[in-house]
Amino acid sequence: MALKERPKPFLLPEYCKGCGRCLDACAKDCITLSDQINPLTGLVPVELDLANCNACGLCMDACPEPYGLRPAHEGEIQDFELEDPAKLFGVKPSDAPEPIDLPSEVLPLPRTEPLVIKGTYASALGALLAGCRHVYGYPITPSTEGAELMAKFLPKLDGTFIQAVSEVATVNMMYGTAGAGLPTMTFTSSPGFSLMLEGVSYMIGAELPGVFVDVMRGGPGLGNIAPEQSDIKLACHGLGHGNTHAITLAPATPQEMLDLTILAFELSFKYRNPVILLGDGYLGQMTGKVQLPETMIKPGIPKWAVYGDAMHRKNVITSIFLTETDLEAHNVHLNAKYEAMKVEARSESFLCDDAEVVLIACNTPARTAKGAVQDLRNQGVKAGLFRPITLWPFPVEELKKAIHGTQRIVVVEASAGQLEDEVRLALSKAGVRQFPEIESVRRMGGILPQQSEIMTRVLGQKEVLA
Amino acid sequence: MSKASVFYDKFERHSHGEGLKGHATHYCPGCGHGLAHKYLAEAIDELGIQDRTVAISPVGCSVFLYYYFDVGNSQAAHGRAPVVALGHKFANPESVVISYQGDGDLASIGLAETIATAQLGAPITVIFINNAIYGMTGGQMAPTTLMGQSSSTSPAGRNEYNGQPMKMAEIIAGLDGPVYVERVALFDAKQRIKAKKAIQKAIKLQVEGRGYSFIEVLAECPTHLKMDPEATAKWVKECMEPVYPLGVKKDITVEPWFKRNPPCFKGEKLLSLAGATSEHSDRFCQGFPTHLDAQDISLKLAGSGGDGAQTAAMLIARAAISEGFDATHIPSYGPESRGGTSYADVHVAKDEVLNPGSPDPQVLIAFNTPSLVKFGPTVRKGGFVIYDSSVVTEAPVLDPSIKVFPVPFTGIATDLGKAVVKNIVALGALQAATGIFPKDTLLTAIRVALKDKCALIPLNEEAFAWGIKSVEALDK
Ligand SMILES: Cc1ncc(C[n+]2csc(CCOP(=O)(O)OP(=O)(O)O)c2C)c(N)n1
Ligand code: SF4
Ligand code: SF4
Ligand code: SF4
Repeated sequence: MALKERPKPFLLPEYCKGCGRCLDACAKDCITLSDQINPLTGLVPVELDLANCNACGLCMDACPEPYGLRPAHEGEIQDFELEDPAKLFGVKPSDAPEPIDLPSEVLPLPRTEPLVIKGTYASALGALLAGCRHVYGYPITPSTEGAELMAKFLPKLDGTFIQAVSEVATVNMMYGTAGAGLPTMTFTSSPGFSLMLEGVSYMIGAELPGVFVDVMRGGPGLGNIAPEQSDIKLACHGLGHGNTHAITLAPATPQEMLDLTILAFELSFKYRNPVILLGDGYLGQMTGKVQLPETMIKPGIPKWAVYGDAMHRKNVITSIFLTETDLEAHNVHLNAKYEAMKVEARSESFLCDDAEVVLIACNTPARTAKGAVQDLRNQGVKAGLFRPITLWPFPVEELKKAIHGTQRIVVVEASAGQLEDEVRLALSKAGVRQFPEIESVRRMGGILPQQSEIMTRVLGQKEVLA
Repeated sequence: MSKASVFYDKFERHSHGEGLKGHATHYCPGCGHGLAHKYLAEAIDELGIQDRTVAISPVGCSVFLYYYFDVGNSQAAHGRAPVVALGHKFANPESVVISYQGDGDLASIGLAETIATAQLGAPITVIFINNAIYGMTGGQMAPTTLMGQSSSTSPAGRNEYNGQPMKMAEIIAGLDGPVYVERVALFDAKQRIKAKKAIQKAIKLQVEGRGYSFIEVLAECPTHLKMDPEATAKWVKECMEPVYPLGVKKDITVEPWFKRNPPCFKGEKLLSLAGATSEHSDRFCQGFPTHLDAQDISLKLAGSGGDGAQTAAMLIARAAISEGFDATHIPSYGPESRGGTSYADVHVAKDEVLNPGSPDPQVLIAFNTPSLVKFGPTVRKGGFVIYDSSVVTEAPVLDPSIKVFPVPFTGIATDLGKAVVKNIVALGALQAATGIFPKDTLLTAIRVALKDKCALIPLNEEAFAWGIKSVEALDK
């Protein structure tokens, strides 16, 4: 008979906080507040007198503590009297299985003719080839075409493109999908990237992968939509609060927009950390020759993910470490990871071996500088170009080689010295004290340094502005 | 009513689960969070979805939801839980995702995420704990704090300067996205039973794939309401309930909609979307057009929006790449792209385009007077200027070494019956004037670009031929 099976309540005084919610629940007045402070908890628990109890269960429904009022079985109460409350329920860890890696697969692709596409499209294709089927975004010029292409292609691939309500929402959708262990990315531009930084910090804290393509534009504030290298500092040193770093890649061609996007996904999973691809407004729009790779990725599910299945039930994604020592240990771990990322430093040195003047530039200005190097060489000037491909970690070892024996360094950039600061910081940290005075060619506001300005600076002629 | 098996047998994650804490929640005595947790755990148990569940922990007192629930757990930034939930749901549509949030979290900092997610209507479940105050940060005013209610940031009581309390259940129910919205309370046995049922129903709707549901729970925060638990429950009943009436605010039956195929990873499909092909295109060039430059030819095409300068520029780049060279095209940027002038920098290089900008082009194609006036003087010595003589009224004086080709692009195109092909006339003129590529190179690029509009090919071929003819006529 159902009535008989209804158990009466049972209480471990140690787990009762004495809130009294059960008192009102009992129509039979079986429960009263005791007047004894429990020495273990310092709280005053309730007392049960079950003489009148009809086992209605309402008191148990009213107790906010999972281990507070519980249905009792006679034996349990007897046992309790003999056992240490801390051991009463035994240590029964979750029966969820130990999560394992479901590895991703590399699938072959036929060799195709080169495509003629713009930078943002190349990056979007790179993401699809890297196995990304979950893209979130909020429109901002000059990055929007990337999102538009995703909105067109992803439904045909049974993937997801969602236009979020803001950049803040975007990065947090990425947080969710990344937490589930899948590749995810967004296209944004400077003001949007600023808004995402809260989420980037959380992703770094929770060790989640994700790719941010930031097609930089002129700032500060709304600035304009023309190309500027306005976010170098933000990406290299300002990814939200805390001790944050992320590998930052600076492509210079549509081909690199594709190649480095694929690399960004690989690195972001390798290190469980966001990766930033910094393009500039020109690069987003520039059309060029793009050769597709001969493989593509079908992602698996990493063992740390919270996928929402039995295999991954044990996991938790979080960036909270409540005790100071735990958080310090976490930061030590993150720093070790940042240190390990140094092997990913990449750069290109063009005609630097015998160069008397080395230009340093990245993104589109690096191409202008490359053109200048060629022209300078034609005029008999031994010029070279050093192009960092990773801005963080900065390829300082290669830089040291490139500027070895040079008499002049000229940093060419579309910013007020953000790249130069990276160069100086990297040299300083690497203990390089002796290097030529750094000269600069800088434009801002959406104007890129012109080849003629670089030539003028190098040849020491009077300033000719475009 | 018995401890749900979804609760950990020991709260290992709670200060490492030591001692008493291994079995007691971190909530204050009488806190509504504990009850809401219990009902949530029971619902997960009863629906048999422990393995599929992902619980999103918020910021606020319940930040440590994951101490208690033996399910997949993900912790989100203040207010962002609903969009994190969406990220999980889209990643695995089979998962059951629960966003659990306080009033500061959901109705203040995360309001945009809350409303947008509700309106999107994707099947997730939001449990909203409304205790009319900020708990974790120490009793500040919440969007749901009652008029006159004092808090540490409304010490004299909430007044009109702080605005009126937010009735979230009503706001959410007013949206089209959600399928089920109910406000429940915890202050007496009857309400608790309703609360349990509502939470269970909301999650069941998600399991069935029907849509977004929202359960607002009027909860007690004895600590910051500064009353004992019993008095707090009474306060919720007597003061909160009149402002936040209980009951179902929306309950519609819709067919399950959230069935999704797993993402596709078929190479052919991706390649065909990208328009990639393994077929070699024909090549017509004998070699790089070194008569123009040994390495890298720089062109500029300029006109007004609608002249087709960008399309022509793109066709030159495509033609070059199909011949195995490198090429780049940069469109002009900024408000010009929305009407006004429009120009394109194009490079064609033997091996690699070093600098893709064309500040001093070898070839200028100008579609109107301002373009010719602006860019004519930038053309390099010995370069080429081709312009639309139908519209250009005054030509600037250029360096005598520059070869100038006035060609009536517009006139020819209009005679052919379609003014838009004037850019193709210009390409013909480019071919004849500079010999940059063989005719077939450019014609092939034009035909490939028009492969979906085959009917237009003959007209374009004719326009191209006329461009050539007009340059040849000039030579004579
Ligand atoms: C961006 C950000 N701003 C502020 C905070 C501080 N903060 C933590 S909890 C909280 C209030 C939470 O109140 P509520 O959501 O009502 O939850 P409760 O504590 O009452 O359960 C605030 C403001 C934060 N964590 N992050
Ligand atoms: S089960 Fe019912 S009668 Fe028994 S103590 Fe609890 S509330 Fe009172
Ligand atoms: S409801 Fe639970 S915690 Fe509160 S007094 Fe009763 S038994 Fe103790
Ligand atoms: S402060 Fe309030 S909301 Fe937080 S645990 Fe205590 S009673 Fe609950």
